[in-house]
Amino acid sequence: MLGSMLEEFQRMNKRQFFYQVLSFGMIVSSALMIWKGLMVVTGSESPIVVVLSGSMEPAFHRGDLLFLTNPADEPIRVGEIVVFKIEGRDIPIVHRVLKVHERENGTSKFLTKGDNNRVDDRGLYAPGQLWLTPRDVVGRAKGFLPYVGMVTIMMNEYPKLKYAVLACLGLYVLIHRE
Amino acid sequence: MAGQSEQKEPAKVLKVNKWDGAAVKNALDDAVKEVLVDKFNYTENFALVDGRLAICTLAVSIAGFALLWDYLHPFPQSKIVLLVCVLGYFLLMGVLTLYTTHKEKGIFVSAYQKDSAGEVVSSWEASSSLNKYDDLYELVLSYKDGKTKKVREAKSKRSVAQYFDDNGVLLMELVEPEVTKLHNSLLSGRKSK
Amino acid sequence: MHTFLTRGNALLTFTLSVLAGLTFFCFLSTGLNAYSATATIDTVKVLVKNVPDYSAQKEKQDLGYLMFDLQANLNPLFNWNAKQLFVFLTAEYESPDNKLNQVVLWDKIIQRGENANLDMKNMNTNYYFWDDGNGLRGNPNVTLTLSWNVIPNAGMLSIVRGSGSHTFSFPNEYTNVRAQ
Repeated sequence: MLGSMLEEFQRMNKRQFFYQVLSFGMIVSSALMIWKGLMVVTGSESPIVVVLSGSMEPAFHRGDLLFLTNPADEPIRVGEIVVFKIEGRDIPIVHRVLKVHERENGTSKFLTKGDNNRVDDRGLYAPGQLWLTPRDVVGRAKGFLPYVGMVTIMMNEYPKLKYAVLACLGLYVLIHRE
Repeated sequence: MAGQSEQKEPAKVLKVNKWDGAAVKNALDDAVKEVLVDKFNYTENFALVDGRLAICTLAVSIAGFALLWDYLHPFPQSKIVLLVCVLGYFLLMGVLTLYTTHKEKGIFVSAYQKDSAGEVVSSWEASSSLNKYDDLYELVLSYKDGKTKKVREAKSKRSVAQYFDDNGVLLMELVEPEVTKLHNSLLSGRKSK
Repeated sequence: MHTFLTRGNALLTFTLSVLAGLTFFCFLSTGLNAYSATATIDTVKVLVKNVPDYSAQKEKQDLGYLMFDLQANLNPLFNWNAKQLFVFLTAEYESPDNKLNQVVLWDKIIQRGENANLDMKNMNTNYYFWDDGNGLRGNPNVTLTLSWNVIPNAGMLSIVRGSGSHTFSFPNEYTNVRAQ
């Protein structure tokens, strides 16, 4: 079967080959544009995140998918589930807001805690950092989908699997005609 | 049961998976194109295909530009540019869909018949359709007279089994007469009128 | 369906489409639910102290202390798409330093199947009631409300504030640390 696909591929002329490359490019571009479009609509730089730890169990388990929004005109309030990043560390953390102190001029600071943790997150923040600010927040969880994120976790834990899957998909799109 | 023609040994034996509808249609389209271009010596006109390629290239460029801009000016500063690019991209996708459904319409080859001076005498277009899981290959050959600008069509609807042998080898000697029949019927129609 | 690969591909696509459709239906079936309920809250004992907060700035901050009563029937909120309720009690007030302060004093996780009819008396808070500054003493308007976060099997996460709140004020004098 692969042989017959390769034969078809070899029979292509220049234009058809260029169109195959473009098809591949368009699939990548469509995914990219949908992602960027979601970023613009939700206001969050990472509109979909995968839960990586068990600190929010039994609500969220490792591998669940969260849909985030981050509207600038809605201030952060207690009880909201926020996804934030600590300065210096790339991994986003999904926890719940425990305390909010907001000033007259609009600046605010807040404290978070994971549902499944005994203590609040002060120990997780950067050294000397006692509070989170809206700048640290990537988004607030508004939607939830179970299990779907396991694929991403597996691909990140076994990079060889990720490259193998991507290579196969890419090859298939490039070679398969129409 | 491989076909052995007396005229010439086929330069490339075209064998496809006879169950794969897309491969079968592509093989037939290529064969029809070969007949028009090689046998009748028409020059292929790439305008339609180029149009589609141009739209696709533009779309991919917009996406690439958005990616680059977002990399250089991280979100949220890039919000406006991203919004424009995303809207532009999906607009182009709509344009592409309209283009393929209305302008291209299954046409896989467009060719000119030129006389000895290089002037365009007439133009030919061939389009085809093969439904999924079906075996009826409909070939439409359309002829546009260069002078009267009138368009005439000739259709042929036959099972793909009549062009391939049991192993999936495409038999040119079965394709050629069919195309020639359509071709001549269009030309003779002109003469009789 | 001429090869194993094409059959597998068709089967996989179909399975994924059906799963996606079911999940979407799951989300739609409860997407518009209001999840509202009433709560009755009362405070039993209210004190305020002024002590250094060693987990934060190490300056002296106001530390409120209270015990509360709570009644709320949240059983009607559970449905086939609500797998958990995260219930929390919030104290909201204004202080000289901050226009808005919200502090969670108590929370509870109720999963589907557990009894969600809350009836508690003389409850201690789970968390310390630290203020960011000294704005609790004599504060006339501290409002306690009960809210819950609905966690679905699949769909929207919503936070609903229960109707029914309780406003109280802190005493004007600090209580000595040792007195309870």
